[in-house]
Amino acid sequence: MKKVSLMFFKKDCMGCHACEVACKQEHGLGIGPRLVRVIEKAPDYLPVHCHHCTKAPCIASCPTEAIFRNELGVVLIDEERCIGCKSCMEACPFGAMQFDDEKEIAMKCDLCVGRLANDEAPACSLVCPTQCIFYGDTRKLLEKLDKDLFQ
Amino acid sequence: MGEVKKVRTVCRNCHGGCGVIAHVRDGKVVKVEGDPESPISHGTLCSKGLAVTQLAYHPDRILYPMKNTGKGWERITWDEALDTVAQKFRAVMNEYGPESIVIGQGTGRDYESHLYRFANLLGTPNVLTAGHMCYVSRIGATLITCGNLPISDWNGDPRCILMWACNPQWTNPDEHKGVDFWRAYKKGNKLIVIDPRKGFLAKKADLWLQLRPGTDAALAMGFLNVIIEEELYDEEFVDKHVNGWDAFVDRVRNYPIDKVEEITWVKQDLIRKAARMYATIKPACLNWGVPTEQTLNCTDCTRILTGLMAITGNLDAPGGNAFFVPPQVRTVSEFSRHRDLPKEQVKKRLGGDVYKLASRVALITPKVAWDAILTEKPYPLKAGLLCGTNPVSTRANAAEAYAALNKLDFLAVIDFFLTPTAELADIFLPAGTWLEQNHVADNWKRHGYVLARQKAVEIGECRQDHEIFMELGKKMGQEKEWWDTVEDALDYLLEPTGLTWEQFKEKGYLKGEQVYYKYKEKGFSTPTGKVELYSSVLEKWGRDPLPKYTEMPESPVSRPDLLADYPYILNAGLRTPTFFHSANRMIPWLREIRPDPIVEIHPETAKKHGIVDGQWIFITSPRGRVKERAKLNDGIDPRVVVAEHGWWYPEIKDPGHGWDISNINLLTDNSHESMDPVMGATNLRVLLCNIAPCEDEQEGSR
Repeated sequence: MKKVSLMFFKKDCMGCHACEVACKQEHGLGIGPRLVRVIEKAPDYLPVHCHHCTKAPCIASCPTEAIFRNELGVVLIDEERCIGCKSCMEACPFGAMQFDDEKEIAMKCDLCVGRLANDEAPACSLVCPTQCIFYGDTRKLLEKLDKDLFQ
Repeated sequence: MGEVKKVRTVCRNCHGGCGVIAHVRDGKVVKVEGDPESPISHGTLCSKGLAVTQLAYHPDRILYPMKNTGKGWERITWDEALDTVAQKFRAVMNEYGPESIVIGQGTGRDYESHLYRFANLLGTPNVLTAGHMCYVSRIGATLITCGNLPISDWNGDPRCILMWACNPQWTNPDEHKGVDFWRAYKKGNKLIVIDPRKGFLAKKADLWLQLRPGTDAALAMGFLNVIIEEELYDEEFVDKHVNGWDAFVDRVRNYPIDKVEEITWVKQDLIRKAARMYATIKPACLNWGVPTEQTLNCTDCTRILTGLMAITGNLDAPGGNAFFVPPQVRTVSEFSRHRDLPKEQVKKRLGGDVYKLASRVALITPKVAWDAILTEKPYPLKAGLLCGTNPVSTRANAAEAYAALNKLDFLAVIDFFLTPTAELADIFLPAGTWLEQNHVADNWKRHGYVLARQKAVEIGECRQDHEIFMELGKKMGQEKEWWDTVEDALDYLLEPTGLTWEQFKEKGYLKGEQVYYKYKEKGFSTPTGKVELYSSVLEKWGRDPLPKYTEMPESPVSRPDLLADYPYILNAGLRTPTFFHSANRMIPWLREIRPDPIVEIHPETAKKHGIVDGQWIFITSPRGRVKERAKLNDGIDPRVVVAEHGWWYPEIKDPGHGWDISNINLLTDNSHESMDPVMGATNLRVLLCNIAPCEDEQEGSR
């Protein structure tokens, strides 16, 4: 199966936070976990999100092997296996791992796996007014980004 | 669980306009998504619109009419609520006349047609809106200058964009949204940004002009000076279509570029470069924001900026600032029945003899309402009906607004929540959100579209605003002037298009057939048929017919005597994308993003006062003191402090809801001298202040 990716072109993030709310709505989240979030330091805005890294430190750090990668390349947490030790939060270099205080387990971006199954793009990628969030086939996306944005 | 039904509708969490697909299951909206087919938003949606389920189903939302017993709020029926309002209004009308009732709304929310119809048929000329300093003031000033409101034609491929005091991707939701701007910009076109604060767009801009807050009109005069001196203007246009060119040129010469630099703090070379860029790259559009209006320069600044569009040949040009042709729907103005307000009632409009431009666009500035309530001069205002507005947070001199509304004999409020303003009311009427209404939306805007906002659900006993005005009107003897249902009224609005509401709903939107350069055949809709840079209307009113820059009444230049105590310029009213004025502070998803009111301070300035990032600080002006949380920002001038507006605390449960803790309008002024002389625009933006850290723990908490 082809791998998929979500990429942010950070230079075009203007700090509207629409991606955050779209994510909260899609995942039915209340206050607390922010699977994507934008840090403001005007005039710069820094989207913080899971990169679903090729060599994912969160996977390596998990003592119960609760974090795994599916066939699309999406890094996911098995809620049943997570013991809430927060090792992954320490390990993630991007600060993308979150914690659900009620369930006392780690949480992370699941790339909207439910939507992907219906051939729909992740919720955050659809609402961005500057279209700085890209989703798609990893290889094609890299080619496109290289062509459109860096040349 | 039932099937999900998808309803195509239109958001109104701000002024609205973005297309939405609402997912409804078992009579409840479970999710909203952007509508990719929307001509306005193209599938995107902002944080506010996306959070609508937390608004509509908020536990604090009021879902039935209530009366204030003096000891608390008590649920009543719609009949009792509307009968009470009607009876109180009738008593005031009998004793004082209909002019003693004030009808008010806040920012444009697509019900002005119904609100005005109710007010005009009631016979009161006293309609209080945000229009004195927001958008309608721009319409008023452009009406007398060029006959219509010129709008950025993003889809006409502007090659140069002059973004004047505006951040359309964050907040300015008039007409088109930030998406269309962004698409135009991304084609590689030039961008000039006028902003005292280095924001995202200033970073992206080819030229960024960091001006002293409140000096926009002077800077625009500087642009004109360069363009005229270097003969970069469109000579043919000026010859044929400008009224009073020579007099205007003489006035512009009063603003030589070195003087403009001194006033605005912007280096003259940069002004020259920007003026040349705007004047020589065609087409160019100028996109303005409310800071140009929210000072005493309101009308003049709008007129000067219109002058820039005109003399560069960009008025009604593709890719410039166009006059969009609306679809053939009945206008808000016609629906409002302004012509049926008796002449003798028009004459009684509060402040109408002074603020003539405000009167021409059928509104009053809040100051004259507060005066009439508190001093009973020239006659008393005794009762009021306010819809979707929270003046004690959002109007200049909030303390006076609070005192005035508190003194009214009778006040009814239409809203979603018990806001600090609603808590002062006697009757609360629960409004439906945009998910709960049928309406021909965006009809008041001037972008050439109307959009079908259709009802997805009903919640509690809430009614859409339009229905409330209609049913109240029927109780006040206006039975023959209204319809049986909201949808019947929409059929009437749509009649000239040949469509019924049901048919329009299916279509989703209508767009007018756009034609450019209409003035070439028809001239401009002004008394002279030309762009009146020299205004025959203002001249007739005994006002200066030529625009000028007036120094802010409270600035380092005009009040050096205050500088020892108030050394900084407060740039008040910073907008943020998650909130809309005083709305949304109770929405968990949005409040999590922005938990506190922010005041931005330059790091050097903060150091002088021993203020660290994230600390609560006091901001004081000659009129009051409030606190907000400091955020250091080296993208502002060290002499300037930038503060957010609209803050109150829904989580504080006493009836004041903390309205006076962080309310920046406790610092602003609304004296007549501080307002625009013909529009009554209040200065919500620029004043002098000082800052100090909150020292102890009690001070430093809410």
